[in-house]
Amino acid sequence: MDFESKADATVQDQCTAGMSKKIAVNPLDRDFIEEQAKIFRNAWVPVCHESELPEPYDFRTASIGNENIIICRAPDGKINALLNVCPHRGMLIERRPQGSFLEGQASGNPKRITCMFHAWQFDMRGNCVYVAREKEGYQERFSKDDAGLRRLRCIVNYGGFVWVNMNDQPVSMLEEWAGPALSAIEEQLNSVPLEVVHYHKEYVEHGYKAEALQFLNAEKDGAVFDYGHCTITRNEADVKKQNVSTDFPSPDSKATTKVHLFPGYVFDLSGPVLNVTVVTPVDTNRIMIEHRGLAPQGESKTDRDVRAKYYNLNHGPFRIPATGLQENSENNFLSEHYLDEWSMWMGTHPEGLQRITEKDSADKDSSLEANESITGPHVVVIGASHAGISLADRLRKHGFVGNISIFDKQVGGPMERPPLSKGFLLGGGESVESKSLLRQKKWYKANKVRLKTQSTVHKIDKDEKTITVNNGDVIKYDKLVIASGAVPKELPSSKGIGNAFVLRQPADANAIRQTANNSDSVVIIGGGYIGLEVASSLRKKGMEITVIEAGERILARVASKPLAEHLHKLHVDNGVTVITGVGVESVNQEDGIFHSVTLSDGRVIEGEMLITGIGVYPDSQLASDAGLETQFSNGGAILVNNEMQTSNEDIFAIGDVALRREQNIAVESVHNAQETAAIAAAAITGADSPNIQTPWFWSDQYDAKLQSVGIVPVQDDSVYQVERPGKRDGAVSFWSYRGDELVAVEVVNDPATYMEARQCLDTKRFPDPKQISKPSYSPVDSGGGRS
Amino acid sequence: MKDNSMLDLERKIEKTIYKATLALDENNWSAWFELCDETFTYAITSFSPEINKKMTYFSGDKKELIGLMDMLPKHNTDHSPLHRHTSVYSIDISDDGKSATAVSSVTIYQNMLDGINSHLDSGESRLFVIGKYVDEFSIVNGVPRFTNRETKLDNRRLDKGSHWPL
Ligand SMILES: Cc1cc2nc3c(=O)[nH]c(=O)nc-3n(C[C@H](O)[C@H](O)[C@H](O)COP(=O)(O)OP(=O)(O)OC[C@H]3O[C@@H](n4cnc5c(N)ncnc54)[C@H](O)[C@@H]3O)c2cc1C
Ligand code: FES
Repeated sequence: MDFESKADATVQDQCTAGMSKKIAVNPLDRDFIEEQAKIFRNAWVPVCHESELPEPYDFRTASIGNENIIICRAPDGKINALLNVCPHRGMLIERRPQGSFLEGQASGNPKRITCMFHAWQFDMRGNCVYVAREKEGYQERFSKDDAGLRRLRCIVNYGGFVWVNMNDQPVSMLEEWAGPALSAIEEQLNSVPLEVVHYHKEYVEHGYKAEALQFLNAEKDGAVFDYGHCTITRNEADVKKQNVSTDFPSPDSKATTKVHLFPGYVFDLSGPVLNVTVVTPVDTNRIMIEHRGLAPQGESKTDRDVRAKYYNLNHGPFRIPATGLQENSENNFLSEHYLDEWSMWMGTHPEGLQRITEKDSADKDSSLEANESITGPHVVVIGASHAGISLADRLRKHGFVGNISIFDKQVGGPMERPPLSKGFLLGGGESVESKSLLRQKKWYKANKVRLKTQSTVHKIDKDEKTITVNNGDVIKYDKLVIASGAVPKELPSSKGIGNAFVLRQPADANAIRQTANNSDSVVIIGGGYIGLEVASSLRKKGMEITVIEAGERILARVASKPLAEHLHKLHVDNGVTVITGVGVESVNQEDGIFHSVTLSDGRVIEGEMLITGIGVYPDSQLASDAGLETQFSNGGAILVNNEMQTSNEDIFAIGDVALRREQNIAVESVHNAQETAAIAAAAITGADSPNIQTPWFWSDQYDAKLQSVGIVPVQDDSVYQVERPGKRDGAVSFWSYRGDELVAVEVVNDPATYMEARQCLDTKRFPDPKQISKPSYSPVDSGGGRS
Repeated sequence: MKDNSMLDLERKIEKTIYKATLALDENNWSAWFELCDETFTYAITSFSPEINKKMTYFSGDKKELIGLMDMLPKHNTDHSPLHRHTSVYSIDISDDGKSATAVSSVTIYQNMLDGINSHLDSGESRLFVIGKYVDEFSIVNGVPRFTNRETKLDNRRLDKGSHWPL
């Protein structure tokens, strides 16, 4: 059921249950419901502040659009948002605005969320822990493990606000949604822990958008940001008077910064006062505005009183309104921006100025679309990541003038993967997303590349030459390129645990970052590049890290032994515990919360979160379902020839999902994604095949920048390494030889040596293994090289 | 049993509270201030179970209140008259007879005048807020005067309406 029909159904259910006064048949109400569903399906909503539920088991209720939600604090202190609707018969579960589940309620046990109707019980993460008469009533047909409150995306950020998104796959991440506009006050918001000290709400007779427009019309200056965030008014004179400080304003500060966020939130930092308003539509012509006043936790009574006084003057319910009506601004680009934003989600411009088709509005990336009508040859690409995007780029560079459509199940603009385990994890609220986008928006327009995100391809029909997308669209292709990448392996016992993660997609990295911001220790299973990079990033945050590697050494599959030893020491020197040669016996959790792993030697390693980085498997299900040849009968990589063509001549496969028949190991790297894309693009357009480079790869850990070129044949015992000291401190390289033949070079903190090594391998000029350890010996100029 | 002078004083306090109610209903600020001591302070507070905190929505001393009243005509505000229904529940006079506290229940209705659409709304009475007055008095020469009033509201939803002391 899609969100709109679900929203309708909810209202109708409520009507039948006599629980709501809303009458779904009134056309105005129907518009209202539609508006609610369309807008609130995508919006990040600051539903409350973390100080409103300070202790474990505390909760707060709220609503978003037509849905009731409950926000609660789990025993480990994490805040979760759940749909406040019982999975049994759909009744509203918690009715109080705020409270604690620590004490039992009349119909339930302590520490449980209990539905008063038939006493089903749930823990703080929404897992169903008790179903009355489960065995007698349901026998084997149903188990409580199948039920549970629906968990919603929930992030605590920007001064401790609890942001919830009804969409499991948000159109944009919170930092993209709110970050750019809030960056003006983010440092102040995050400088000290805040608490809500004032709360009141008011009902105002106004349509939802009319209210928002009124706000915006009143603003003279401002800036608009992507994702419809409209904003910032600053009183320059006041700014000058302010003591320049990033701390939360003291009771005597003067500056004013107002941030409006679509669809109806205002963060207003004026003088010493932070007021945050959240507008919730009540019905077609009524809105509720919640006002929250915030102050630093633990400030003196005198400061608090002064602050309250200022607050009440400007925002209190008994303040005296300003003199005269605020004038309408000539410069009303903010309201235009708002209207555009509105029409993007609603499909209709509120002032009837323009109609955006339903088709466009269904997808946030519609602005990226260029060639709407499909004429000429059509290349369809499944997967918009390193491989898929490179392919489109190469096709255009080869002069391909037909249509290119890329489908991806992810939300938001495609992002680079490498930063996700590195710098991205270090960020707090800062938005690194836009600089990590694989291509900026204008690239798609300029290159006439149609990007369809949130579009999962379900089926390939190679006879009809079509693909079927999740919205039911059947798309015809002339050439199909599968760039569906790989998915991380998970330990079965860690599945479904809230504080256990794998890392592949931006959303995974975001979830890890959020949890890490509130955790002190992490257990990482897997000593491969991903595990080690995550270890280094989180260690920089001061977390206690244990890396567990089942193999005899870290990086056993991808790096030489001396490099692995070098990096192992680097981690240990940085305070990370690295355990090798021991497997994981069990992942231990309580109430769905990870707390430790038991190792095969009986040791128990505790941690506040778990990250598993034990490799990936190619995402080739679609291809094997379509009867394309894969590595194994039950899956594995899609087998391709040297032109990246699969067993079907019109279908190509590139990147992590593909394996050339003559190759025996898969290389999962950005270089491989780009190179295989270039080969396929050449094959499709009939251009000359590109020169094949020696594979390269990089990794950042602590201050060590690793660059490697060539593939170290780790299984080949005849391969040996020679260490070459670098000229600078901390610089070193490991040269892998088979006999006199150079096969790979791994370089730490020495870009110049890396370039030389690359030149040697690309030109197949092999420096003398007996000399290479001497810094004075030049691998390229010494003439010692052999061809 | 209370002696007559105490009963007399209680009656005076009660009367002062009712006089204040009438003065406030009529927006007769000077009549209200006459009932207040020079040291008078006023606050509107509420406890929010939503955030689990006691809050002050409005506060001021006599000087600030007089300043506020002077400013009122210059502001746009809703002019719907408020109508208070006050019942004095308890009066405690100090042993020395120099001060007292009183708790009254108060219900305030709003008689609509110039809200959003006066064509439709004017003339209608709506329940505005409910709460309690917690009053403190000084008693000089048998005359009680307000030294403090805390209007403790039950409401946390406060729609447009009055912007002066309740
Ligand atoms: C955290 C991290 C750090 C890394 N660091 C480095 C590094 O430092 N250096 C390096 O060289 N490499 C690194 N890599 C590896 C590198 O990113 C991958 O090799 C590369 O992303 C592979 O690109 P790809 O396009 O083949 O697949 P992917 O990046 O996996 O993308 C596949 C895309 O296809 C989409 N898709 C899959 N199925 C469907 C479907 N049915 N319908 C629609 N869409 C679908 C997915 O949503 C995904 O967006 C890193 C990877 C990760 C995860
Ligand atoms: S409706 Fe909740 S237990 Fe039955």
